[in-house]
Amino acid sequence: MPRFHPPLALALVGAILFGDGASIHAKAWLAQVLLERAFAQSIATGQPVKPWSWADTWPVAQIEVKRIGAQAIVLAGSSGQALAFGPGHVEQTADAGERGVAVYSAHRDTHFRFLQHVSIGDDIDVTRSDGKRFRYRADHSAVVRFDASGIDLATQGHELVLSTCWPFDALTPGPDRYILHATLIGPVNQAADR
Amino acid sequence: MTTIDDFESDEHPMLKRLIKLGLVLLAQGIAVMLIGIVALLVSLFVSLDPAWSATSEQATLLQPADARSGTLLLKNDGVTSEAVRLGIDVDITVSGPTLRARVTQVFRNPGKDWVEAIYVYPMATGGAVDTLKMVVGDRVIVGDVKERQQARVIYEQARRDGQKAALTEQERPNIFTNSVANIGPGETVLVQIEYQEPVHQSGNEYSLRVPMVVAPRYNPSPVVQSVDFRPDGSGWGATKTDPVPDRDRISPPVLDPRKHPPINPTSITVRLQAGFALGEVKSHHHAVKTESPDATTRIVRLADDTVPADRDFELTWKPAAEKAPSVGLFREHVGDADYLLAFVTPPTLDQAAQKPLPREVVFVIDNSGSMGGTSIVQAKASLLYALGRLQPNDHFNVIRFDDTMDVLFATSVPGDAEHIREATSFVGALQARGGTEMVPAMRAALADKLGDINLVRQVVFLTDGAIGNEQQLFETITAMRGRSRIFMVGIGSAPNTYLMTRASELGRGAFTHIGSVEQVEERMRGLFAKLENPAVTGLSVKFSEAQADVTPAIVPDVYRDEPLVLAAKLDKLQGSFEIKGRVGDRPWSVTLPLQNAAEGKGLSKLWAKRKIGDAEVARTMRELSPEDADKTVLALALEHQLVTRLTSLVAVDKTPSRPEGEPLKLSELPINLPAGWDFDKVFGEQMQRVPAQLLERRADASGRTTTARRLAPAAQPDTVRLPKTATTSELKMIAGLILLLLSLFLFVFNRRQLLAH
Repeated sequence: MPRFHPPLALALVGAILFGDGASIHAKAWLAQVLLERAFAQSIATGQPVKPWSWADTWPVAQIEVKRIGAQAIVLAGSSGQALAFGPGHVEQTADAGERGVAVYSAHRDTHFRFLQHVSIGDDIDVTRSDGKRFRYRADHSAVVRFDASGIDLATQGHELVLSTCWPFDALTPGPDRYILHATLIGPVNQAADR
Repeated sequence: MTTIDDFESDEHPMLKRLIKLGLVLLAQGIAVMLIGIVALLVSLFVSLDPAWSATSEQATLLQPADARSGTLLLKNDGVTSEAVRLGIDVDITVSGPTLRARVTQVFRNPGKDWVEAIYVYPMATGGAVDTLKMVVGDRVIVGDVKERQQARVIYEQARRDGQKAALTEQERPNIFTNSVANIGPGETVLVQIEYQEPVHQSGNEYSLRVPMVVAPRYNPSPVVQSVDFRPDGSGWGATKTDPVPDRDRISPPVLDPRKHPPINPTSITVRLQAGFALGEVKSHHHAVKTESPDATTRIVRLADDTVPADRDFELTWKPAAEKAPSVGLFREHVGDADYLLAFVTPPTLDQAAQKPLPREVVFVIDNSGSMGGTSIVQAKASLLYALGRLQPNDHFNVIRFDDTMDVLFATSVPGDAEHIREATSFVGALQARGGTEMVPAMRAALADKLGDINLVRQVVFLTDGAIGNEQQLFETITAMRGRSRIFMVGIGSAPNTYLMTRASELGRGAFTHIGSVEQVEERMRGLFAKLENPAVTGLSVKFSEAQADVTPAIVPDVYRDEPLVLAAKLDKLQGSFEIKGRVGDRPWSVTLPLQNAAEGKGLSKLWAKRKIGDAEVARTMRELSPEDADKTVLALALEHQLVTRLTSLVAVDKTPSRPEGEPLKLSELPINLPAGWDFDKVFGEQMQRVPAQLLERRADASGRTTTARRLAPAAQPDTVRLPKTATTSELKMIAGLILLLLSLFLFVFNRRQLLAH
């Protein structure tokens, strides 16, 4: 039955490709489960907790958009390795709740897929690893090139930028980024919130 | 029978085909899931496949292939696999005012080739190196001091002839190189050097410092040429092409501490004979064990047997008595001359009697990449402390530099609360990155724009001194110092002490070291005592009977708590000498009889070393022509058997060891990165650095009225580079599905064909 082999080989390659692509989603989903555990622990202990022992990053914040029920745990650093598991806190940008601009970045096809559904005026809650929670309100969005983001690091305000690749439904990586800009409204009283 | 068979084969094949198809689909589904799970596990455990790990755009700029020649890159081939192993033992005996150190370097060749090893190592700045011994098996070969070129010729000859040889050369007063030729496979060669150094004294505290690693230096690129015009004024000149002509000689390979365990294990023993009853003896950066055989003696050893050579060893000791002796007088008779070493601490006036002079202080902070890690924290803490000490009637300014620079205020401003606040937030926002272009910053600091002669002008310069073009900086200071005084603050685990001492000497100031955050307050308080109190000025020395050759020839001003250290060569040890000067407004003098001097060791070498230093300073200040200075240095070095810029020590084992025809491989010994340094900040930045176009941005005075003024340092990018945030998962899944469908289609098509036959 030698004629059965080409389709089988083709099936194998196809399966590997599909599996590889699916694994990105599986990893992104599984990592978030582990990260939530680590983040809860680090709020409780006040120390950075690595989600798994060989991780080179740790959760620093949680982003939540209540209206569309989306949430994600943000990791320190925006290296490719970190971004595979969760949104990354871009190096050298401010912490959430601090003066300056906090920039969080994530993949458009996994953790920040929900960004396309966030509309201007939505509340974005960011919980830091010290347990403090801050509410930002989305005020504008833009499509920019990766190296000309126009984000002003020296800003005097308290700002938040969520960034991902643009367009959302494209198949190949490109230079354009979608940024959603939000401004701090104030800290959230968690007891009252619950 | 056949009919039934035919009937059955007509009825059932359809069912069989459907079942088979179903089974195949099921198997494929399972396979997809299995592969998916395997891929997930693999990618979770080891990030093998970079295809899905979207790399940030910036990382692509850091290709090692882009490195300029002369930057430090780890050689992965040869060095790591066949590396010569090095162990270091430092044995120091302190006797009163001087110390003698014996540094033994053990070179072991574990490989199968004959090797020439080259090791670049730091030297105590005041250290006079006079002895080289090479131990091969049970033979000890003692080295000779020769003129540098001659020593190199002797060494090269021995190297070619297969003889074992060792060569000790000075690259900078605090950077030396040892070359050892013809270390055979499996052999061990010991190279021992010895040096003499005066003990450092400040106030009540005595100290010694053993540098253990040469910090990677920033060597400005030779793109910007400077011109040397001929002195005859003919208008013809030659361009000097490189500010660091010997960059290759001071740039040994540096290991990335994240990828390699620390190397070059070092053991240290200090036999401390202070000459007085000892109080506190403290090692600042290493854990030590201390034995006390008697009240005046301590034996200090490392708590761990060895430590990696990645930071300076600093030992301080205090007398048990409340006050350190204010005078120390020591003598040594060598040849037909007597040598004298004197420590005299001038009295300090009461703070109350003295109204502090209003001052103009310019703070300069180095925020280059080499300051990354703990150094920038120490530097910022020191500067913030200093800002807190300013008085409202003082004037001040802040300059920060890497390969760009910012001057905070257009001219110096009063030290009122608003300006201090502004400066504090400016300093707080600094981050360490970029190259180290120190000369323009020093030039800006020395520009006396205020020109108010009622103010004492002081420059406080905080840096690790990790540059290779020290000479350029010294020339800048000499040319522009005017009435400014320069105070150097050496930051970090392995500061360039030579740069600190020489810059503060040329700038008629003082220097201090800060090696950890804990030291910030104590050391800065000491520095401020020097800044706020009047110096002892107009000092002169007169010998009553003896003919004396005194060094330093022009006695410098002495700051609070510092001793005046004099070395002299005398024709006879008779009579006395008198030191005169002014403490603030009041005259001061002291007379010391020479007969009371105690016997000391190695004083002639220290005198010669300081005379050599004087000649080098005179050369920098153009008081001596380069030829005359060289002549003086050479004569002193040969007479007192010292290693200098112009003389080297060379030892050759006459017995040939490497058989003819066996090749000799070169091994440049790697060194550690100094403790607390950030590898990427130093090497990442240097690799992607474009030839420095010096940007000078000044904060506009009018800009203060607008609140949105940028205080972010220029080193920070103006905008954020957003990371790559697209994966190829969709693409892969779609491609995978298409292939699966295609295979399915082919499968069905094949089955049909098969069955049709």
